[in-house]
Amino acid sequence: MKRYAIVGASAAGLSCAKTLRALDADCKIDLFTDEAYLPYSRPIISYYLKNKVNAQQIYLQDAAFYEANDITVHLNEPVTEVREHALQTQRGKRYGFDKLLLATGSVPFVPPMENVGGQENVFTFLTMSEAERLKAYAEPDMHAVVLGAGLIGLKAAEGLRSCVKSVTVVELAGKVLPSILDDRAAPMVEAHLQANGIVTLLGDTVVRAEGKEKITSVTLKSGKTLPCDLLVVAVGVRPNTALAESCGADVNRGITVDHETMETTVPDVFAAGDCVRSLDILDGKEKIIALWPNAVREGKTAAYNMAGVPEKDTGSFAVNAIDFFGQRICTCGLINDDSAQVLVRADATQYKRLLVKDNHLVGFVLINCSARAGIYTELIRQKTDLTALSGDLLKEPGLMLYARDVRTEKLTGGVRI
Amino acid sequence: MKKVIAREEWCLNCRLCEVYCRTAHSVSGDVVRAHLREDPTPVSRITVEGDNLDSVAVNCRHCDEPACVAACITGAMQKDPETGIVTCDESRCIGCMTCLAVCPYGCIKTGKAAVKCDLCQGTGEPACVKNCPNRALVYVEVGGAAK
Repeated sequence: MKRYAIVGASAAGLSCAKTLRALDADCKIDLFTDEAYLPYSRPIISYYLKNKVNAQQIYLQDAAFYEANDITVHLNEPVTEVREHALQTQRGKRYGFDKLLLATGSVPFVPPMENVGGQENVFTFLTMSEAERLKAYAEPDMHAVVLGAGLIGLKAAEGLRSCVKSVTVVELAGKVLPSILDDRAAPMVEAHLQANGIVTLLGDTVVRAEGKEKITSVTLKSGKTLPCDLLVVAVGVRPNTALAESCGADVNRGITVDHETMETTVPDVFAAGDCVRSLDILDGKEKIIALWPNAVREGKTAAYNMAGVPEKDTGSFAVNAIDFFGQRICTCGLINDDSAQVLVRADATQYKRLLVKDNHLVGFVLINCSARAGIYTELIRQKTDLTALSGDLLKEPGLMLYARDVRTEKLTGGVRI
Repeated sequence: MKKVIAREEWCLNCRLCEVYCRTAHSVSGDVVRAHLREDPTPVSRITVEGDNLDSVAVNCRHCDEPACVAACITGAMQKDPETGIVTCDESRCIGCMTCLAVCPYGCIKTGKAAVKCDLCQGTGEPACVKNCPNRALVYVEVGGAAK
């Protein structure tokens, strides 16, 4: 009987476990997590914060699923060492394995700030335990400061808006969501945040905090001082590679993997998800693509190869869909590629930006017009030659863009009636 | 599994499939009430693309390896291993619409949650097929991963 160990119980880890079970009904699957929860949706924690879901609704699968599929989940069991086909946990237990997946995810990055470390009202926003701590701490008369206007920071801000008196987001870049929005979309999103009671301060950052044991105010680089009853630090995340390094795997920001099999430089040790340096199929560059669908796909590919079934990974690229206070944002691919031709269609509330390079769609930004966005994503993924399409690409996309025989093939899957 | 297959050459662009899909997924189950009384108006999970010259009805392909299921951040979107039907558990969906962003057929719509074809819960011939006046939609066994 094959023994598989998986470290990290989120998107990549769970996807790997499920796939392994589907491939091999008899194998032993051990899933290790340093958290107290069965695999849950990390992005859902902001919905938990604003009471849209309760603590029972965060789970990706119910407890019965793990029993039915004979997947042993080791909660609260950090893995401290991997050596010669065995891993050691903090509880001093040792587990042997034939193949191992490292799905250790990311850790929040906290930049150096004076008098912030160790204060009880400083939070990150990546895990359910931090969300629970934040939710328990937040009171209606409090002033919250969120450092960082990325996806995590803004989701924290949105969630906090319903819990506290004021929410101020401080971002060092000159725009909100700098990694997924262009210069025209960002102000639209920022205006919508402001209309919903979020104060935004761009081009600035927290340098110092006042208060003992508890922060009472923060001072910004600009010299401004903000009252602060709780501080959420969300400037970014770093791949969690400590375990990979300790077992001798090559790490360069993210864990180095064979992009086809997800195997690390250590034989029989695989890695997937946010902790990995992925290959972006759109620009051929290696980068950290810390996004859910990417982690699920990589975990699945790893499982196939761990089980000895040759299956090449189809490659990564960024896709984001998110909403803040009802404004829908959907982005994909290379958003700020200066060499691409830009097509824009916009009015007061909607914005569509398509990036085209050498007759191929390489990216898009959609604000409040994401209907059938997956059609665009597919054009990007398949690297479809746009000259083979007909119709206005800027209108709501559909299968009618394709030539008739192509769309019939797509729709029928080759079935002839 | 059985799927809805569209025969583009027979589509009249009448959109009755949309009307009966909305009705089948309404609260009342009544065609007039569903369209005039219910708030919100039920969302049709099938869409006729094109115009009077050339049109085709598009709904979920219930893919063998669905991109929407892989992309779902809450586990709400699942493919039933027995029936092969891909459904969104609307009670678990938070409406992030990542599924919509990755569906290659553009088949997922925004309602209170992500809304998509459920093949009328596998209860026989789906409403769109049953009410297509020109048999442009047929419900046929296509093989694939599930029964």
